[in-house]
Amino acid sequence: MKRRTFLQQSTATITASGILAACPQPSLIAESLAPSQPSSLALQFAELSDHVLSQATGLGASFAEFRIEQSASESIHTREKAVQSVNFSEDSGCCVRVLVDGAWGFAASHQISKAEVQKLIITAIAIAKQQKGKRLHAVDLETLNAYQDTWQMPMQIDPFSIALEEKADRLLHINDLALNAGAKFCRSGLVQVREQKWLANSVGSRIEQSRVRLRPYFSVTVLDPKKGGFASRDSLAAPQGTGYEYFKDYPFDQEIALAVEQAKEKLAAPGVKGAPLDLVIHPSNLWLTIHETIGHPTELDRALGYEANFAGTSFVKPPLLDKLQYASDIVTVRADRTQAKGLSTIAYDDDGVKTSGKEFNIIDQGRFTNYQMALGQASLIGREHSNGCAYADSFSSFPLQRMPNISLQPGADEQITADSLIADVEDGIYIVGSGSWSIDQQRYNFQFTGQTFHKIKNGKLAGMYKDVAYQGNSVEFWNACDGLGGKGTYELGGAFNCGKGRPTQSAPVSHGAVPARFRQIQVLNTQAEAGA
Amino acid sequence: MIPSEQDLRTLTEKILKLSKADSAVVHVSAAHHANLRFANNDITSNASQNLLSLSITSNFGTRSASVSWNQTDAHSLQQAVTRSEQMARLSPPNPEFMPPLAAQSYLKANSFSAHTAASGPDQLANWLQAAIDSTRAAKVAGAGYLSRKTSASAMATSAGLFVYQPSTVVDFSITARTQQGNGSGWASTQVTDSKDLTLKSTADRAVEKALQSVQASDLPAARYPVILEASAARDLINLLLWSLSQRSSDEKRSFLNQLSKGDPIGQNLFGKKASLYSDPTYQAAPSSICSSDGLPKQRTEWISQGTLKHLHCGRYWAKKQQIPAIPAPGNLIMPGDNQPLEKLISQVDRGILITRLWYLRMVQPQTLLYTGLTRDGTFLIENGKISRPVNNFRFNESPTNILRNLIASGTPERVLGSESSMPMHIPPLLVDDFHFSSVSDAV
Repeated sequence: MKRRTFLQQSTATITASGILAACPQPSLIAESLAPSQPSSLALQFAELSDHVLSQATGLGASFAEFRIEQSASESIHTREKAVQSVNFSEDSGCCVRVLVDGAWGFAASHQISKAEVQKLIITAIAIAKQQKGKRLHAVDLETLNAYQDTWQMPMQIDPFSIALEEKADRLLHINDLALNAGAKFCRSGLVQVREQKWLANSVGSRIEQSRVRLRPYFSVTVLDPKKGGFASRDSLAAPQGTGYEYFKDYPFDQEIALAVEQAKEKLAAPGVKGAPLDLVIHPSNLWLTIHETIGHPTELDRALGYEANFAGTSFVKPPLLDKLQYASDIVTVRADRTQAKGLSTIAYDDDGVKTSGKEFNIIDQGRFTNYQMALGQASLIGREHSNGCAYADSFSSFPLQRMPNISLQPGADEQITADSLIADVEDGIYIVGSGSWSIDQQRYNFQFTGQTFHKIKNGKLAGMYKDVAYQGNSVEFWNACDGLGGKGTYELGGAFNCGKGRPTQSAPVSHGAVPARFRQIQVLNTQAEAGA
Repeated sequence: MIPSEQDLRTLTEKILKLSKADSAVVHVSAAHHANLRFANNDITSNASQNLLSLSITSNFGTRSASVSWNQTDAHSLQQAVTRSEQMARLSPPNPEFMPPLAAQSYLKANSFSAHTAASGPDQLANWLQAAIDSTRAAKVAGAGYLSRKTSASAMATSAGLFVYQPSTVVDFSITARTQQGNGSGWASTQVTDSKDLTLKSTADRAVEKALQSVQASDLPAARYPVILEASAARDLINLLLWSLSQRSSDEKRSFLNQLSKGDPIGQNLFGKKASLYSDPTYQAAPSSICSSDGLPKQRTEWISQGTLKHLHCGRYWAKKQQIPAIPAPGNLIMPGDNQPLEKLISQVDRGILITRLWYLRMVQPQTLLYTGLTRDGTFLIENGKISRPVNNFRFNESPTNILRNLIASGTPERVLGSESSMPMHIPPLLVDDFHFSSVSDAV
């Protein structure tokens, strides 16, 4: 049997015997977010769902929800000439969430059987009822709509249908190119994830969804054998909610050559002199700045204190809604879970709220206009409905408010490029690629590094700096933005693993951006910061 | 109930019997996790999770692949084993492959409390009530997390290794914030046996800090002597420990290559006050007795009175370099001077007391420079006493400097950090010349 043939068959066999037995493979592609026909998955779990929901409501739940998930992931990690690990993982399980007397109860198990589900119902009801008489405030649910729907993420090639040999060969080829170009070390890898979710609730929703995401990466390191020291440069390839075609078509051969060249240049580059400088920031760096300085501060649960003990609260307090001048008036930032290739893209959130029609501006021409919300939160700021931002990272996780795809919208002038922005800088830095990131628990004070730092002198690039970090205050930073690239410069960045909650849940999210210019941002020399 | 040793021995044998590979390794972990979160003095989620994880790594020659799954029916077991074997045959040979270990001798684990394991998912809300009563009575907003995890893990190899370890751990952390949002305090505890839980006193500490930290005054960023309370100390020292890699050092891409010429082991790189070791059976903070590849974890000195004693080293690299393999630590113990916190404070003319750190991230691997921030209780010390609350700071500092500038330390304790949950028993540290880079407006 040929390797590819085996894996194609193997995937089908696994699925056919698993809990989502009748689920069509994700390679049967929906072309848009438009609802597709319900699959037989809905029929498979209809009876069990009805049983759970009727039992739970019969035992006193004013709202009940039954969610089944199956996730699969495959990862290949390499370094130099070696494939260090090949892993495939498949998990399945279910959970019951109930609201009783204004208190949540939640129970989950890896076992999906009528007997086990019965235990979950009883446990969830019991721990919710235990709070009776002890609460200060009851959870206030909004009116939910009922949906019966099936959604599959659009893609061309299901990555789980491709032989791992093909992926490993490509990764080792990347490493070879790096080593041949003069890198001392190169690691590379590909991680792919498939999520399948089935949600039924007492409102009447029955929703089945599936999606896939990919994270290719490499990192090259060069050494200075004479003076000592080393420098690295990571790939700019962003993780995306897309099929295998993304990895297959990505121009890694070109990027690896550039990466080695830039790592060498960085190793030999002079350190930057710490000072306020003008920055032009490429989308491959700016996506993370958006995530930390706009994404997290505008999560309503944080603003209300729900995350005070871990992720923190926010400087964006509810009285600032529609008032705070968050950014200069050229800046609009939009939340959208229907965005093509977005890691957060899905048709319904894990509260059962439809995402299409719930897109919203977080910042509209500089003004803060809306929070991200999950179930039970909208009424706390006088709104009727949440906006499709709930996510649970597994069958065993309680849904939390998590980020939709949050993106900086292109500037009005379509002709503006990174070069145009650079042309209007006398003394500054063009920053490309994301590096280190850190921000305080209310999201005021941030510090970011990057992959490469290109000196700008009199409107032109003039070599490279090393040891660069930029530091600032979120609102001051965004109000210092005076230039945006046009539509043609828009790129999608993102992460697989935004952490939040306890136990920590990991959420995938994308952030689109255009190159943007910021005036007089504090730049640090990290070597000097180290006292070295 | 978690599975017994016999349960997991039977299960791992059953899986290995299905194997047709040259060699195989099986891991099983079963857990019951009860956890609740609270905020604004109300419970926000209350969960019971019944979890299972199985994995098999199959090897043909030096070709290898792993499959993990979470169902135990016969079909699922066979399917996973078959899949891992078929994937392994398709994988490229791994020049760094190491065959599975045969039977090993392990220390006797002491990370399990039957009393804790016997508590049901409904017990947490009862435990928590005293803490919530404390924050409500003080009219501050309490937010936090209480978690009880009972687990059993086992590892078996086709070469005859079997190891089983049950564990329990209870984590509790609480943030108290004043109603006006102008003061915040935090405290935490981690125990193996729930009888040792001190929820009310932990909550009271958070409340006290919140009330003391109200209306912090401005203080510019600069270099100051600091007292890192145990949570802050553990977050920084933990980062150092994970960077003590033999391979990175040998490959000349470690911070150790800037600190020393030649072999760093045996050199005093960290100052005479610094000593760190791991011991999986340390009663106050026990850990796993084996590494993920089955190496027995032993008491291991990492740094002794400033001298680097060992680096952790994987089996492949150890074989290549002809040195012993040393597993990465499962816990960390830092002996202290056992001075009361007040005595540490009394030694500071002008410095900062730090309750907790946040968002620590690597800035520069060459110098092991990390950035991060203070939060939930930052105070100015003047003339040997806490004089007033001050603003929070961003720091850019290296854990190597922390040890080199260590002046004195307090009594070790087991608390939680912001960045990892690895059991650590570590004292508050009085450290000179700590570099604050800028001021944070966060409260």
